[in-house]
Amino acid sequence: MEKIFLKKDLGKSLEEYDFPGLKNALNMEPQQVINKIKESGLRGRGGAGFPTGIKWETVLSIEDDTKFIICNADEGEPGTFKDRFLLENLPFKVLEGIIISGYATGSKYGYIYIRGEYVEAIKIVKKAIEKLYEKNILGENILNSDFSFDLKLVRGAGAYVCGDETSLINSIEGDRGKSRIKPPLPVFEGLYGKPTVVNNVETLAAAAEIMNYDNNPYSEMGTEKSRGTKLVSISGDVNKPGVYEVEFGKLTVRDIVQELAGGVKGEKIGFVIPGGISTEALTEEELDVPYTYENLQKMGSNIGSGGMIVVSSQRNYLEIVKNVSDFFRDETCGTCFPCREGNKNISKIVSDIYKRGYPTSKEIEIISDIQYAVSSAARCGFGESSLNLILSLFEKFYTKKVEV
Amino acid sequence: MEKYYEKELLEELHDIQETYGFISEEDILRISQKRDIPKAQLYGVISFYSMLHLEPTGKYIVRVCDSVSCRLNESAALVKALKDYLKVGENETTKDKKFTLEVVECLGHCDEGPVMMVNDTYYTHLTVTKALQILDSLE
Repeated sequence: MEKIFLKKDLGKSLEEYDFPGLKNALNMEPQQVINKIKESGLRGRGGAGFPTGIKWETVLSIEDDTKFIICNADEGEPGTFKDRFLLENLPFKVLEGIIISGYATGSKYGYIYIRGEYVEAIKIVKKAIEKLYEKNILGENILNSDFSFDLKLVRGAGAYVCGDETSLINSIEGDRGKSRIKPPLPVFEGLYGKPTVVNNVETLAAAAEIMNYDNNPYSEMGTEKSRGTKLVSISGDVNKPGVYEVEFGKLTVRDIVQELAGGVKGEKIGFVIPGGISTEALTEEELDVPYTYENLQKMGSNIGSGGMIVVSSQRNYLEIVKNVSDFFRDETCGTCFPCREGNKNISKIVSDIYKRGYPTSKEIEIISDIQYAVSSAARCGFGESSLNLILSLFEKFYTKKVEV
Repeated sequence: MEKYYEKELLEELHDIQETYGFISEEDILRISQKRDIPKAQLYGVISFYSMLHLEPTGKYIVRVCDSVSCRLNESAALVKALKDYLKVGENETTKDKKFTLEVVECLGHCDEGPVMMVNDTYYTHLTVTKALQILDSLE
């Protein structure tokens, strides 16, 4: 089976790309489009992995004149750059996915929220939106159909937490990017209190590709619970870092590192962070796991955003722990007390450990307690996952049980 | 529906910042009156986002990434060299108002680290020498 993203359409201009997925969708009823997405088994590619078709169906089922689609292009997870790749190389496919989701859910308005640091992607997408208006692929009566859809680009301004869907909604509304209490879920009360679909860039590009076919080749790829393909961005101590498309279940994490990314730079792999710094690390011995949602979950980790970071055994894992804890300290939105204070205190404790060179068992206990408090009391995915990597590294590398 | 489709606040703030380099008290007063948003809330919003500034910045904003992937490509040495060279700390502007140095979280070029951005231009696969040459060449 041909891969979805990386072997086709790359570099195609608007003149060459004729929006086959959108054309197919417009010839179907919205519910039929949703059925096709459901059959494909597509799950959200931003990190949470929620079934896309169900999200769309919920919004379609709500009667309201005003509904919104938001494309979440606020990719800020360290190690993750696959959305930037899509925005810069396949902007039309991403926009096509946004318009299709608008049609399928009965929404007339869309936003694409791109992080402010992605200046090149912003330029490219801005221009692509203008072109789509010229070609009547956006605006009134798209491609002479009854469907009208407007799309605006909003730039983020440097806040990692805005990748959380409720923080992102607050940010578009002109507020600080602080998360909202759920429920209500954005599908019921999202942007300006209206039903809102928030989908990741890769999810929408995949949806456009799924609509491209009469049959459903996407559902034939992968495993039962992890269908299709995933863009994996690989960085760190590897010989060939970059973005690779992986069919779920075909390769193990070790294969991805060895065969796609050219193997480790250094003696041997120390550990791999499989899905960005919110996901638990896998040690060298744990890498023979097939790359699927279910298998990584079995290992106590996650596909996350697909940002794989490889760390050689010659590195000091405490330097990574310190870097990551400083990151979460700086990027919490500060609204929830446990997340704000928890991440601050972890960063202090980790700083002491880093200076000393090893943790004490008391420190590990405190970190574990704080992790429990933060992950169970936080409103959004930020707090829920901020300490996953740190704790997993201590669990797996804290071998010198030194009492002080 | 028009109210949803006026220019979003963040976009307006970006535009002001692009024109003047920062968002002044006068701008805040004007936006507060026009949009009927308390000034305190606007200050809250602007100070929340690292790319928005309430004080003038240097002619060039140097953003250098020090997140995990860049760190594995020796960004720590680059950050130190830039601080030494510019004689400033994080989020500080040089005396001649030419450079503002920001140590930022991931810039999304993790496969090409270490990375810095000078205004809107990305520089990847940097070495200390190369980075300092780039700063030297700016007028």
